[in-house]
Amino acid sequence: MNSPEKTLDPVTVELIKGALQSARSEMEALIDRTSMSPFIREKKDYFTAFFDRQGRLISGTRVPLAGNLIDCILEQYPQDDMRDGDLYIYNDPYWSKGAVSHLPDMVFVAPVFSRSELMGFAEAWGHLWDIGGLMPGSISPDATETFHEGILVPPTRIYRAGQFNEEVMRMFLRNSRFPEMVRGDLKAIMASCQLGKRRLEEIAERFGLAALNAVFEEMLEQTAFSLRTALSEKVPDGRYKFSDCLDGDGRNDQSYAVSLTLEKSGEDISLDFTESTNQATGAINFKMDKSVPANMLGMLLTGEDASVQMNAGFERALKSVKLRAGSIVDPVYPAAVGMRSHTMVRVTGSLLGVLGRASDGQVSAASPVYVLYYLRSHDRLRGSYELCIEGLGVGFGARTFADGIDAVYFVAQKNYPVEFAEMEFGVRIEAYRIHKDSGGPGAYRGGAGIIRDVRVLWDEAVLGLRLDNVKHPAWGIKGGHAGRAGRVIVNPGAKDERQLRPMSDQNQLSKGDLIRIMTGGGGGWGHPFDRPEASVRLDVLDGFISSESALTDYGVSLTQDLDIDVEATRTIRAGACCDGDMFNHGKGITSKEGLAS
Amino acid sequence: MSDTLPLVVAIDVGGTFTDVILVDGESGRRWITKTPSTPSDQSIGFFTGLAKVTGQANIDAALIRRVFHGSTVATNAILEGKGARTGMLVTDGFKYVLEIGRHDIPRKENLYTWIKPVRPVPPRRIREVPERVLLDGSIERSLDAVATCAAIEELKEMGVESVAVVFLHSYANAVNEKAAAALLAEHFPEAHVSISSDVLPVFREFERAMVTVLNAFIHPQVSRYIGGLSSGLKQRSIDAPLLIMKSNGGVFGPRQAANQAINMALSGPAAGVIGAGVVAKSSGHLNAITIDIGGTSADVSLIRSGQPAMTNESEIGPFPIQIPTIDIHTIGAGGGSVATVSDYGVLTVGPQSAGADPGPACYGKGGQHPTVTDANLVLGRIPEYLLGGEVELERDQAKRAIVKYVADPLGMDLYEAAAGILDIVNNNMVGALKVVSVEKGYDPGEFALIAFGGAGPMHASELSRQLGTKTVVIPALPGILCAVGLLATDLQYDYVRTCLQRAPEYDLELMRRVFGELSTLAQQGLNEEGVSEAQRRLDWLADVRYAKQGYEITVQFPTGDVNAETISLLVEDFHQRHEQLYTFCDREAAVEIVNLRIKATGIVDKLELSTVGSCNGTDAKSRFTREVYFSDRGFQTTPVYAREDLLAGHTLKGPAIVDQLDTTTVVFPREIARVDAQGAIFIEIDHE
Repeated sequence: MNSPEKTLDPVTVELIKGALQSARSEMEALIDRTSMSPFIREKKDYFTAFFDRQGRLISGTRVPLAGNLIDCILEQYPQDDMRDGDLYIYNDPYWSKGAVSHLPDMVFVAPVFSRSELMGFAEAWGHLWDIGGLMPGSISPDATETFHEGILVPPTRIYRAGQFNEEVMRMFLRNSRFPEMVRGDLKAIMASCQLGKRRLEEIAERFGLAALNAVFEEMLEQTAFSLRTALSEKVPDGRYKFSDCLDGDGRNDQSYAVSLTLEKSGEDISLDFTESTNQATGAINFKMDKSVPANMLGMLLTGEDASVQMNAGFERALKSVKLRAGSIVDPVYPAAVGMRSHTMVRVTGSLLGVLGRASDGQVSAASPVYVLYYLRSHDRLRGSYELCIEGLGVGFGARTFADGIDAVYFVAQKNYPVEFAEMEFGVRIEAYRIHKDSGGPGAYRGGAGIIRDVRVLWDEAVLGLRLDNVKHPAWGIKGGHAGRAGRVIVNPGAKDERQLRPMSDQNQLSKGDLIRIMTGGGGGWGHPFDRPEASVRLDVLDGFISSESALTDYGVSLTQDLDIDVEATRTIRAGACCDGDMFNHGKGITSKEGLAS
Repeated sequence: MSDTLPLVVAIDVGGTFTDVILVDGESGRRWITKTPSTPSDQSIGFFTGLAKVTGQANIDAALIRRVFHGSTVATNAILEGKGARTGMLVTDGFKYVLEIGRHDIPRKENLYTWIKPVRPVPPRRIREVPERVLLDGSIERSLDAVATCAAIEELKEMGVESVAVVFLHSYANAVNEKAAAALLAEHFPEAHVSISSDVLPVFREFERAMVTVLNAFIHPQVSRYIGGLSSGLKQRSIDAPLLIMKSNGGVFGPRQAANQAINMALSGPAAGVIGAGVVAKSSGHLNAITIDIGGTSADVSLIRSGQPAMTNESEIGPFPIQIPTIDIHTIGAGGGSVATVSDYGVLTVGPQSAGADPGPACYGKGGQHPTVTDANLVLGRIPEYLLGGEVELERDQAKRAIVKYVADPLGMDLYEAAAGILDIVNNNMVGALKVVSVEKGYDPGEFALIAFGGAGPMHASELSRQLGTKTVVIPALPGILCAVGLLATDLQYDYVRTCLQRAPEYDLELMRRVFGELSTLAQQGLNEEGVSEAQRRLDWLADVRYAKQGYEITVQFPTGDVNAETISLLVEDFHQRHEQLYTFCDREAAVEIVNLRIKATGIVDKLELSTVGSCNGTDAKSRFTREVYFSDRGFQTTPVYAREDLLAGHTLKGPAIVDQLDTTTVVFPREIARVDAQGAIFIEIDHE
């Protein structure tokens, strides 16, 4: 593919790109340093972006979820009604058509003016600690409507020409169980947005508005070009189908599928999700903005080129994205959406699946969705809450060039240090380990999940859990095995040991109970017999896999002293046979095998 | 340490050269030399340089009274993963503290292509031992000695040389860690032991573990290296104290350096900042932003009121290092940075570097791709040779590379393309300069820009124009400012302990006690280095945040006592710093004190910088002219001056070029440069 004719000076393009990136780092540093809730300050659940005057994403954090964040504001507030010093907020997944996808993510947008002309938007969003709803933390597997998930804020002007709307803030905070913490986070994110606004003004001042607009267009085209090129190299013309399943919404045994058909004819590429399962009663529905699959493809296929910006250009590489109202990826209001990431990660899985079919397996294996638990206690006489929410990493899918990442959450989000969690939440963490044998065996091994042992120290507690990929573990590809599932056990090894349903709420616990959460691993890539023997042995020594798995999955026989039994290994590996299937979905664990509580 | 100082030597090991400066404190004479660095054993270059400079000065080395040294031994061991075989003891249940880390990937990376960095210690060499300290420092379970001894035996059998001990909450109570250290001393005396409550007694176990492990990892190598230097000096009858550069801008003696080797990990660029601080003071610009541009990277820092900005959150390679260091921001932009054009036509410069071999295309050593140095050469900014003629540069090779890889693919003219390469690399460096200034709430307009390193002086004016600083300062010896900085250091030690205090219930008694204990440690440290009472200074500091925040700001504790008044001064100071750093403060929010710190200084007598002669009203004479390209003006016939010809009081009108042995200063059209008594060049920047 030839590079298109260009009139713009490439130096200016790079200068503006660099300036936008450093402005965004500055915005993120401000949120990082000043926010107050564990979700934002330790876990880093916040993102920033710049948009052009039409509301197209120009430069944003590398997450697939932040496509068309401005459109719904423009629908409520026409451009000529916007003033310098305005700031808009919202968290409404339905009015925003999925631009924001669950309620705790509050979006903040500052319009930016250059010599009184609207020229773009600075944006930041963060996951708030609690915004009301059924349970503390606002997300629960028991929620069945958005009304159970906290206060819904449609696009709302919280600053008018520099004037703060105290009433909106008061009404909003009144709906939170933790108003002080939320207030601190709001301050941090609003300051960040205003900083971004000033930086964009300075950039416009330095380069001039005409140059800036031309460069914005150029940046979109660069991004579109990179994805088009990658798709034309990776995907031959044709029609490819794949369904990726999630265990369910925790309310019954039904599984859900994200079903995708990718059709390619020359530069025309369309994605069709209409065969996906109907929407769920529980909170796994994903109101998906149409930019999401394009952004995911961009992240999956253009990852090696650091000069590619995350922006609306990715959408240009696709002709159409078809959804069906009432399906799990296009739910109808007011379906609950709190745990939409379970479905979002399967959208990624379905994209990897079609790419795998198109490229004879030259893509990553699948990954499970991250895991969270919500431990809560409510002192009704004092009117106070305790709330411990921890996000736990899983193992990611093996790549065509490397093992999957062990123990990772999602992009830049961090765990709570044990010493922090004990200080902040009044729990005791008694172990934090790698979940042995959870990574799918393969020439490249799937990443391993983790084990976290949490001792309850409050008199009583209610536990909510969200752990998927138990019935449907993350698949392996090209001979690689599926990852192994996670599970949750209370008081392991004791007389009253019991297993909890992985997607459940209202689990009653009392002082002294130990919760063991084991998370799942990623799928493997390539046949495990092709993994070098020495790597298999080191995995055993390091506790990532057991000797039994080394023998049965990898065909590597180890002696008592964990040296390689060369003869035995050669014999076993010589007997390798290929089963021919591109995908290995693993066995999974069904509720009949002991998961029902 | 307050005797007079006839002879002092500073030896700074850089990536390519080892710089040596010898100063006679009585006569003020100085001798400077450079010798190639010897990466496989830096002490070879050290002693070669020492011999060379004493030969030049024709003095007896035994008369040297003090030896300052900056080394990259610790840094390289970490970056190359070539430390000792290290083992680790951890609390039962937490063997994977290093592997799991913070379960994130860096924000700028792509989730699907990122590869987890290899940890310095693999899980197979980590042993869990039964013990548990709780949040408040109470001992829930004492160390199980039997199990620990068994674990020690296993580490021994694995051939471990060095052991790190990291137990949960040991910052609150170090008893179990100390018990483990005692068992190690008894049963494994040949191993080096680092315990986390010594190295970094601060909460957050992964970060504490990483610093402790890295300290253990590099210890054997660093202590062998320092031992070798000490005995080498003794062989040469040099009985002077050896003072080694730390990341915090101070120096320490061989014994402490060996035990706290991690404090050397980021010391390389620190000496340069101290050197820039000397220039800042002598030039009267006490507020300055500094940039050191070398072949592959640029190091940026900020000096306020003559003091370098500090941070407790640095990184080395992919690992966090939360010890006090000079706040230096490094980016991959330098003379060797390579310009590339993507399939689409995107021009980027760096972070890949052509390094010293093959080097830029103009070195004629097989480098094909155009670099920043090639662009500077094509535009006439630098001469067609390096090191005063020792190395010839090939202008045609530089042109060919730029035409082939940049100008042709982009449809640009050769000179526009070369200027574009410089614009982009300058923009990247301005981004870094903003990180240490604008992002921290400082207005560059109130700072001077001090530029040094081989490539600093040729980019300084452009950087200054974009950043908004009004004055550029080019030190007299920009190529060896790190060595100059070494001569200006003090002994400096940091002591810290987590002591969480939530407003309004500050436990004044407890804080007083912690400061008391830290003071005792600090005095012991200064005693060990033989610092006299008169030369000591202890600063009290506290890390403060709003309750519920995750990051602290380090604020000076007002006086030597903890009372209601000093606390309220501290809190007010914190509000103001918060507003400056983060655009707002919140006087209604509760303020939390997290860590208490003491910075102990043993003041080392300083040498005066030598001066250059006065021009006595004469004009500077250029040696010849060169055609130099400036954007919007094209090539201009430009006078070229030799740095050694410039005397105090000389004024140069831009455009002008000043060549010296290891760098070139570019004075742009319409700029005025003048020379001060120390030989520094000041360029006033016209911001229109």
